[in-house]
Amino acid sequence: MVTAQFEYLAPATVAEAARLLSRYKGEAKIVAGGQSLIPLMKLRLAEPKYLIDVSNIKELSGIKEERGGLAIGAATTYDAIGASAVVRKYFPLLAEAAGQVADLQVRNKGTIGGSLAHADPAGDFPAVILALGAELEASSSRATRKISIERFNVDLLTTSLRPSEVLKTVRIPFLAARTGTAYYKFENKASHYAVVGVAAIVTVNASGVCTAARVAVTGAGPKAVRAKRTERILVGKALTASQISTAAKRAGAEIGDFNGDIHASPEYRAHLTVVAAERAITRALGRAK
Amino acid sequence: MTMVGINESVKRREDPRLISGQGKYVDDIRLPGMLHLSLVRSPHAHARIKRVDVSRASKMDGVVAIFTGADLQEQLGSLPAGWVLPDLKQPKHPPLAVDKVRYVGDAVAAVVASAPYLAADAARAVKVTYESLPAIVDAEKATKRGAPILHEGNADAGGAPNNVAFDWEVNGGDYAAAAKKADVVVRERIVNQRLIPNAMEPRGVVADYEPASGQLTMWTSTQIPHLLRLLFALVTGHPEHKLRVIAPDVGGGFGSKLYIYAEEVITGIVAKQLGRPVKWIEGRQENYLATTHGRDHITDVEICGNKDGTITGISCEVNANLGAYLSTFAPLIPTILFGIMLVGVYKLENVKCKVRGAFTNTTPVDAYRGAGRPEATYLVERMVDRFADAVGRDPVAVRRKNMIPAFKRGKAVATGVKYDSGDYKKALDKALEMLDYPKFKVEQRAARKEGKLLGIGFSTYIEICGMAPSAVASSLGAGAGLWESSLVRIHPTGKATVYTGTSPHGQGHYTSMSQIVSSQLGIPMEDVEVVHGDTAAQQFGTGTFGSRSVVVGGSALYMSLQKVVAKARKLAAHQMGVPEKQVQFANGRFVVEDVPDKSMSFPDIALQCYLAKDLPKGMEPGLEAVSFFDPENFTWPFGCHVAVVEIDEETGDTKLVRYVGVDDVGKVINPMIVDGMVHGGVAQGVGQALVEQAVYSNDGQLLSGSMMDYAVPTAEMFPNFETARTETPSPTNPLGVKGAGETGTIAASPAVINAVVDALSHLGVTHIDMPATSEKVWRLIQGAKEERRKARQGSRNGRKR
Amino acid sequence: MHPIAWERKWSDRRAATHRAGEKKLKIEGSYEIKAARERVWDLLNDVDVLRDCIPGCESLTPAGPDTFEAELSVGIGMIRGSYSGRVRISDRKKPGSYRLEIEGEGPGGFIKGDATITLQATGESVTTVTVDGDGEVGGMLARVGQRLIGQASKSLMKQFFDCAGKKARG
Repeated sequence: MVTAQFEYLAPATVAEAARLLSRYKGEAKIVAGGQSLIPLMKLRLAEPKYLIDVSNIKELSGIKEERGGLAIGAATTYDAIGASAVVRKYFPLLAEAAGQVADLQVRNKGTIGGSLAHADPAGDFPAVILALGAELEASSSRATRKISIERFNVDLLTTSLRPSEVLKTVRIPFLAARTGTAYYKFENKASHYAVVGVAAIVTVNASGVCTAARVAVTGAGPKAVRAKRTERILVGKALTASQISTAAKRAGAEIGDFNGDIHASPEYRAHLTVVAAERAITRALGRAK
Repeated sequence: MTMVGINESVKRREDPRLISGQGKYVDDIRLPGMLHLSLVRSPHAHARIKRVDVSRASKMDGVVAIFTGADLQEQLGSLPAGWVLPDLKQPKHPPLAVDKVRYVGDAVAAVVASAPYLAADAARAVKVTYESLPAIVDAEKATKRGAPILHEGNADAGGAPNNVAFDWEVNGGDYAAAAKKADVVVRERIVNQRLIPNAMEPRGVVADYEPASGQLTMWTSTQIPHLLRLLFALVTGHPEHKLRVIAPDVGGGFGSKLYIYAEEVITGIVAKQLGRPVKWIEGRQENYLATTHGRDHITDVEICGNKDGTITGISCEVNANLGAYLSTFAPLIPTILFGIMLVGVYKLENVKCKVRGAFTNTTPVDAYRGAGRPEATYLVERMVDRFADAVGRDPVAVRRKNMIPAFKRGKAVATGVKYDSGDYKKALDKALEMLDYPKFKVEQRAARKEGKLLGIGFSTYIEICGMAPSAVASSLGAGAGLWESSLVRIHPTGKATVYTGTSPHGQGHYTSMSQIVSSQLGIPMEDVEVVHGDTAAQQFGTGTFGSRSVVVGGSALYMSLQKVVAKARKLAAHQMGVPEKQVQFANGRFVVEDVPDKSMSFPDIALQCYLAKDLPKGMEPGLEAVSFFDPENFTWPFGCHVAVVEIDEETGDTKLVRYVGVDDVGKVINPMIVDGMVHGGVAQGVGQALVEQAVYSNDGQLLSGSMMDYAVPTAEMFPNFETARTETPSPTNPLGVKGAGETGTIAASPAVINAVVDALSHLGVTHIDMPATSEKVWRLIQGAKEERRKARQGSRNGRKR
Repeated sequence: MHPIAWERKWSDRRAATHRAGEKKLKIEGSYEIKAARERVWDLLNDVDVLRDCIPGCESLTPAGPDTFEAELSVGIGMIRGSYSGRVRISDRKKPGSYRLEIEGEGPGGFIKGDATITLQATGESVTTVTVDGDGEVGGMLARVGQRLIGQASKSLMKQFFDCAGKKARG
């Protein structure tokens, strides 16, 4: 459990971090909490020559209320997110999920940006942030651009972030009135990663009809995806238990090939996706007031 | 100042040091000029070594030396089995592989460098060319024709034909006749999965050789410093008297540090070769490959009896996976420690047990907490439930009907051993009382009506502890006596240093042994120092395993304390001028009978022993005593554990909602420590039942190679344990103790699985193998539903016709 | 279809028994390439195409009949490793099927694959390529990566056939 040799760099600003990234093209990696990258380095499954530590860059940490939503710095830890009063007020879903990530030590160090950029197929935040419809901001030494979360998750451990870009901010739009949210996960008993996790956001109108729904699934396939077929079935109905059940049955439709490993076969994951979706949607609906 | 007696809960004296980072483990040992050793390990489960190219590695920064198996073949010798069964095949086990690797993790070369990181870097640069061979990981398939052979050649040439290490059996009564006469015979195939021990501290060795004196000192994370010294001397030819083995603080073992390991021999010999101190520290991933695993049985088992609920016999055929080589106690665990336990606490007259030990391309398998007894208890308790189900009776009633009645002194059972003392119904009754069984039955019926799956499982276990009677052990194959000794040294100020050959790694010996001393000498616990784990301090000792330390080592200590008190009493009588029989010793004072103000304290006497100016004629100066204790029999703790589980029908997820454990470990020294051991043991037993498993691919790759994939149970899995004790003293040792280190692990797994099966029994489920993962449970539920659907359809079709 | 799945066996439904060693890395998948079968066959047997399309292939040098020495730098996301090894093509039954063996070794362990590749014309100028075989991953990757290996190999195969598909178009 020893890493290969690397050089440690600790820039003070995002601009400087971006400059370092472009200088050491392909040989440098950004590290913040180090909860994904450092274990891989210790196992020598990743051997970056340069490690750019962004955890001390002030502009990357913290939660700000902006017009239309919250802006969360990419290097903000799960613990800070879970404990934040504004997050708890506006996005209980984020706090609920943050509290379920791995264990206390990981939550104290691990960051929202790290989770999204690493894109672990069983990570909690990729699904939660996808359900919340966030917009990400990333900077290279040349430009800053906005990336919709919908276009961010590309494949297994792969995002649309370019090698020269530093992920800066996660912007989450406020939820409509009468919206309920829930994150339901079956966790791997060893790693506490999601075997399957589902984030659900349900909005109802005054007469209880579902006017909008966003459901995202993690753990089931190579990347977190939205269960759009499920969402479509939900919208426009005054939801009953059996309607939710019918909708949840389609929650795996966008997964394609389900993951199979020593903990859960593809068939079992497909089944859990349906159960988790049903439970998450039911809970979210119960909270929509 | 704490005067403590026996059966008093005092906090562990060692804890302030250990939990505040003041412990001293092997990795804390830093010697001047120390080098660091890293091992090149095979990624193949089975392969021929064609070439080991060290040319690039040896030129790297800080590299001092690189040794291959061929370089050190002579010096390293071959690791032996320490327990030899009749006809045991003992293939060579070179610490560094020479021509073949036989499991993933088999060490191929040792790289020594000036820093651990440099050693690790260079180890990665050693290029080994392998010719990979087909591998076999399944113990049953391994002994079938056509399986790849691990140790080639016939037995005389050191081979193991058909991968069979031994065939062993134990018989009592006549099982075949019993089965023929029985109303009911129930058969099951039961797999006891492979586990990884997961001691908190992985292993580590520091070896320091002084060429001038020829003295080799080794610090190693072990449970058996003395046995290790003996084995090291036998394996390498290094003289035993020029070797000192020290087990400093050891962070857990669960049996996995109970052997001589390749790394201990390699590090010692490399230090000797280089004349410099060398350190090897095991990483967690390395630990998963290189430190022994536990369990791994495939068993066909049968139980028979009558419709009235009488059990008349049990029979089993076991395929025990031993891994690639014989670890030190590997032949003992699945045979003697397993087979003789098959009658449980029951009046079972007929037993038949056959065990075949098989070599496979996996990490060697040896003792893991309970070692053999959990496997036996699991079979017995699972099959008693199967039998109860088959005859349509309550599992508690069947247990009660078949239990051996209470006895105080010796009860011979069908497997040829003699239980020491027991009152099995008492423990069962206590558990039932704590549980309120009738109330639970009502709750269960109500829960089922609501579609909830609630189940209860019992385990009225018995186990064998206090591993000792040397004559018995050696007649069964032990390579060393299993007695213990003690040295009690009283200092002139009345303080005591006591030496034990047992070697704690978390059990709290420092406290329990101090308590024994304090209770016998009447001096405060703070005035007692307990020395263990150093071959230079104590003349010999077998070590700590099999819940033997207080039973055997504690008894040896007790005997020395009696000798010290006897001498002190003699001196007190002499100095107070009264006959010895008039002197009573209580609360640390020697008091003349009926003359309360005429007394001397224990420290007064200690000082007089050293001043030696007024000793009775013929008394030697000083105050110390040595004792050896070798009990006549093992001890047999027992009890009743009960698990209640709730299963999520949609997902198969199983939750332990209640746990009641009643243990009888004889007399208790420190109830708080016993409670702690029971809690930890239960956690491990539940872990095996629900989540833990070492998974190999068909090719012999360990897929559960880290804690990301190997689930170690955590606190959130458990309700509060409700524990209690009954007390049936053991007549085989002066303390009346039975040992308490493993009861929880042994009792818990069958209780939990019985509960899972009970929760699913109304669906027609009869058995589930451990671990009862959510997917496995879900599949059983799906399967049962499917069968019902088919049955319903069938009957509907029948009606149509 | 699950291109790669850890095989499991359940001996019977009412009594779930399970033992070590019934797990195998299956390599399975099928891919559609928009070209006639002969054209696809030629592409898949063309060294230059292989070099361009095998993910992370840094060099591919012929070493005997139907055998190539390969240097690969393969990875997904942050997980990356260098392997040197061999690619061997055998049992050629033009244009229907062949056997492909890949073997690579790096400091972290080794990868092996042995698969039968079948080409079927499933439409006008459409060929379905089916991969069916076993794989073995050894070393650190196997010990800590089991949950990712299935999807990772599938993703790499997809990259390969996507690339071959592009070549087919032009």
